[in-house]
Amino acid sequence: MNKKIWKNKLFRWENALILILITEIIIFGLLNPKFLQARVLLGSINDFISICIISLFVTFVMITGGMDIQAGAIVGLTSISLGVLWQDAGLNIWAAVFVAILLGGICGAISGFFVAFAGVQAMVVTLGGQFLYSGLALAVVNLSSSSAFEGISGFPNSFIKLASGKIFGIPNQVIIFIVLIAISYILLHKTKYGRYVFLCGINKNAAIYSGIKTKLIIMSTYILSGMSASIAGIVLTSYLGSARADLGKELTLPIITAVVLGGTSNLGGKGGVFGTALAAVVIGIMRFGLVMAGLPTQYLDIPIGLLLIVAVAARTISSNPGFVRKAGKLFKRA
Amino acid sequence: MKLVNRILKAREISSLAFLVAMFLIVGAVNPTFLQVKNLFLTFNGSVVYILLAVGIAFVILCGEIDVSIGATLGLSAAVSATLLRDGSSWLAAIIAAIAVGVTIGLINGIGVTVFKVPSIIMTLGVNGVVRGSIYVYTNGKWVENVPFEFKALSQATFMNALTYFLLGTIILTVVVHFILTKTKKGRYFAAVGDNMSGATLIGIPVEGTKIVAYIACGIFAALAGLMYVSRVGFVTPTAGNGYEMKAIAACVLGGISLAGGVGTVIGAAIGSVIMSSISRVLVFLQFSSDYDNTITGILLILIVVADSLIQRRLAEKARRKRLSARTLEEVGGGSNE
Repeated sequence: MNKKIWKNKLFRWENALILILITEIIIFGLLNPKFLQARVLLGSINDFISICIISLFVTFVMITGGMDIQAGAIVGLTSISLGVLWQDAGLNIWAAVFVAILLGGICGAISGFFVAFAGVQAMVVTLGGQFLYSGLALAVVNLSSSSAFEGISGFPNSFIKLASGKIFGIPNQVIIFIVLIAISYILLHKTKYGRYVFLCGINKNAAIYSGIKTKLIIMSTYILSGMSASIAGIVLTSYLGSARADLGKELTLPIITAVVLGGTSNLGGKGGVFGTALAAVVIGIMRFGLVMAGLPTQYLDIPIGLLLIVAVAARTISSNPGFVRKAGKLFKRA
Repeated sequence: MKLVNRILKAREISSLAFLVAMFLIVGAVNPTFLQVKNLFLTFNGSVVYILLAVGIAFVILCGEIDVSIGATLGLSAAVSATLLRDGSSWLAAIIAAIAVGVTIGLINGIGVTVFKVPSIIMTLGVNGVVRGSIYVYTNGKWVENVPFEFKALSQATFMNALTYFLLGTIILTVVVHFILTKTKKGRYFAAVGDNMSGATLIGIPVEGTKIVAYIACGIFAALAGLMYVSRVGFVTPTAGNGYEMKAIAACVLGGISLAGGVGTVIGAAIGSVIMSSISRVLVFLQFSSDYDNTITGILLILIVVADSLIQRRLAEKARRKRLSARTLEEVGGGSNE
């Protein structure tokens, strides 16, 4: 019995991810020794911080059995709104940050409301949200005096420091990521709210019968993911020093990849924040390492896509021993 | 009366009514919109979307999803445009494009059925791989200098109004509609999407049907890619980026349920026309076409929410009817004893 528990702990998916991560770092280190410098390794997070932040909270959505493909669009919307609020409405930059996070929450709430209360499929609603919010971002650009092509720049130094500063030699972005991991971990794994989120995904009817307000819980997960998208938008704006409407456009694939690779089932009820965080770093380091090894950025979708398919297929096969027999039968028939 | 009921129940009719209403309203504001020439321009502009939506309808009817068709369009367009530029025959270019579509569809289908990867994950991954392959294949460069004759094909018209592309697309859509609704094998798709275990029990090859659906989807995406080459005349590595979302939205607008089993390809085609005419409509209403995506998003959400509420009410009504029928039956049974 005791042995079995140990075995289960040892063969957990998170450990496999850690193994993949270590392998990645060793391989990329061999390809390019510069890669192993702590400064480079820690600084690499600049390239994939938004994937890390958003996927943490999209995990919540997917655990309830939902799907969120609108987060990328919210990144652009909050980025440009932040710029317009600061430059054209004359708001204090931190007040603008606050409003931007609120805006992300509202965007999430709108989609979450339709998913939870009108019973529309999450995929369709967030697809609509993707169109809506990326369209609104363009509308917001028209409100500003800058053109969409240039974006809004010239932010105060204190705001720029948010993403590029360091505390005790650790980049702020790493600290932001760790804080958010802590928050989401406690929220999902240590609170009653987190148990409810899981229960909504495992058996919604049982959750309803035990008096849980499932609709509110489901809606709240979309609010969280919307807010995380706007935090990512703010960090990205701060790092790039310019607010643009088209930020985050290409994030959907890596976000979903991170969540699923992290062990969260897209059918709901299974998953965890820690796995997602690891998977996001695995993907990020892979992108960063491949670029450092000389692969053009446009090719990056190939390894990431393959990783996603192979990981999920391997997991399905390993959990289904009758698979080989069945596959043989199918081919015989065809 | 039966006919009226049937029409009311057909979801594509409400989409068609919406399309007509939209055109009439825009025509009232700006009469030039309703000129025959402009209407045909609008319809001609939607052939690529119609083909994509009809293709993906196969997959959605089965209750699955395919988000790789934008990349499939891009790769088949790049491959065929390169062949045409280098002087291959049209036939070779068309066969190559379709081979690309079939291959990607087969990979998707096998991944979803044999390896049991959830379809959104599988096709999202394939989307990334195929999109990257376009960069590998083209070296990140544009494919230009497509022969003039091939480009002229998109302008060739039948009786001076209908382009051959539009005519072909309409015929293809109608044929597919009849295959899907009138033939035994064609109805497998909706059966699988409506009730997978039920379909298995009555002996429908569920996995085979899904693979065929993905292959059909790939072929239609490849055809859309060929039309893209002819219409646009050059292929960038980002060609077709985001088209998959527009095709899915078109299907939803046309009354196809993403849960599977419900909807027709005619609806998908109507949805694509709505989808692709929005930006044109905005221009005629003298708005910036920047608001294209905003309107599409609002429309999409409104339509599915309304649809979901109506369906829920209908289900409730049917349940009540069944319940009252059962109680009546029980009362009747009691008096017999």
